[in-house]
Amino acid sequence: MIEAKGKMTSVSKKPATTIKQNKAVPQWIANNKQIIGIFAVLVILSLFFSVFSNSFATTGNMLNMLQQLAANLIVCVFMTLVITTSGIDLSVGSILSLASALIAVLIKAGLGSFEAFLIVLIVGAIVGLINGVVISYLSIPPFIVTLASMIYIQGLALLITGGYSIGIDGSAWLNAIGQGRVLNIPVSAIIAIVVVVVGWGVLTQTRFGTYVIGIGSNEESVRRSGVNIKKIKMLTYMFSGMAASFAGIVLATRLGSGSSNVGTGFEMAVIAAVVLGGTSLFGGIGTMLGSVFGVFLIGVIDNGLTLMNVSPYIIQIIQGSVLLLAVIVNTHVFSGKSLKRR
Amino acid sequence: MAATPRIEMKEITKSFGRIQSLRGVNLELYSGEVLGLVGDNGAGKSTLMKVLSGVHLPDGGSMKFEGQPIRLHSPKEAKNYQIETIFQDLALCDTLDVASNLFLGREPLRLFNRLIDKKKMHLSAQQELDRLGVTIPSTYATVENLSGGQRQSVAIARAVINNPKVLIMDEPTAALGVKEVRMVLELIKKVKQSGVSVILITHRLRDLFEVCDRITVLYEGRIIDNRPITDFTMETLVESITAEKEAVH
Repeated sequence: MIEAKGKMTSVSKKPATTIKQNKAVPQWIANNKQIIGIFAVLVILSLFFSVFSNSFATTGNMLNMLQQLAANLIVCVFMTLVITTSGIDLSVGSILSLASALIAVLIKAGLGSFEAFLIVLIVGAIVGLINGVVISYLSIPPFIVTLASMIYIQGLALLITGGYSIGIDGSAWLNAIGQGRVLNIPVSAIIAIVVVVVGWGVLTQTRFGTYVIGIGSNEESVRRSGVNIKKIKMLTYMFSGMAASFAGIVLATRLGSGSSNVGTGFEMAVIAAVVLGGTSLFGGIGTMLGSVFGVFLIGVIDNGLTLMNVSPYIIQIIQGSVLLLAVIVNTHVFSGKSLKRR
Repeated sequence: MAATPRIEMKEITKSFGRIQSLRGVNLELYSGEVLGLVGDNGAGKSTLMKVLSGVHLPDGGSMKFEGQPIRLHSPKEAKNYQIETIFQDLALCDTLDVASNLFLGREPLRLFNRLIDKKKMHLSAQQELDRLGVTIPSTYATVENLSGGQRQSVAIARAVINNPKVLIMDEPTAALGVKEVRMVLELIKKVKQSGVSVILITHRLRDLFEVCDRITVLYEGRIIDNRPITDFTMETLVESITAEKEAVH
């Protein structure tokens, strides 16, 4: 037995050279190559735009960009959770449209800002809850479920507005969500940053986050540990719906009007950002910081090229190509992880 | 071993449609004993173990746990009796680190029970692994970066953390290299020393002679042989499994 023990240690010593013993920093780099990669691209692009556009690297432009990206940042946090469970939520764009339309309609109908605000959030949560219940308890693939709700929610948004934009005549605090500034920093950006930090904490520091990753990695294993995985999955969709409807309020109050088509294509922008950041569509790997960089990368390309007077059509071509390139690099260059696992 | 058996299964039957998987199985398991459960494919080993771990409800027969009659309707109920099962490949979350896997579902908490106490979790994980003599580069390593033997060791350690009274292992050494099999077998011996009853299902007969106290042979849903390991040689065991010779019951 002693002889066997000797062999045992010699076996297990080999991998010790490849995986660093408790050294937080190199381990972090090894685990986060993708984040570092996208960050590098972000820095290079920002430098590029700073050189070729006079107005890019100004405080004003940066704060504007932050304000414009606030809605995307808020939703990307929850999309990251959903995708990490190996799910997807295609309905966030429609929910955003519905929320934007609904808050305008409710206020126009004479409701107070606070009541309207609450109702919109609850409606978003309910739509998300329906998605979640159908996905987890009726075991229908998230792609189909959220595709269906994307369609019917869009219809609902069109129905309540008749397709027109409706001006928002809300209280000062409500308008401040989209337009206000504190020390010149947009309120929406501050909210987005808080949401991102909380989201990061939830994913990395709580049981909920651990189970989200675990479900994406090996659902059966988590279930057998006695965790209520259906509830966890359901909650991610509910939060996602609620976040999308909050983002709708942010957008509507920024623009000063509610519209049923403001969220068209929004879900794709968010999903693209999350995937760019290195979260795996197969689940099990999720990174909040990566998603945030993903949102900024798409935003910076848009903002920088617009300032350089590039046609918006060409911008779209470039954004799509960058996404494709990034996904190829992520899967084949940085790590064989997702390939190895499937 | 005259004491009350930890597990006593009597005349267990189970059918799936027209197929009768178990035709009246009697099985006893004592504390601190490693029982090898063998039989050809389709002999009913896995079904029997699924009955014991609460996955399947038997059609007939009775079970006793430490003398008390029990009926297991779900894996959770089995866990309440400290009956733990390690499955072949469904054990771990590849993208979580070793400590998170070990404590999955029972992470230590801090800050009004909101956050996982990672420091404590990794410390306890390391202590647990040390106690079992499992050497793993770091409890922070993600499981997908471990070797097959290390992964299996983590899976076993995860079951052992619950202080099980009965540990069921289904093919723990399948798909492992020679040295890694050693590692897992040493671990089984360690687990046994702490008083855990182990049921080992394996096709690797050599492993049985290494760790088992007793061998039970299943053949077409019945137990056809049940003797201490010392009564067997490799040849007689193979004969028994293939039922070439009608064995003594």
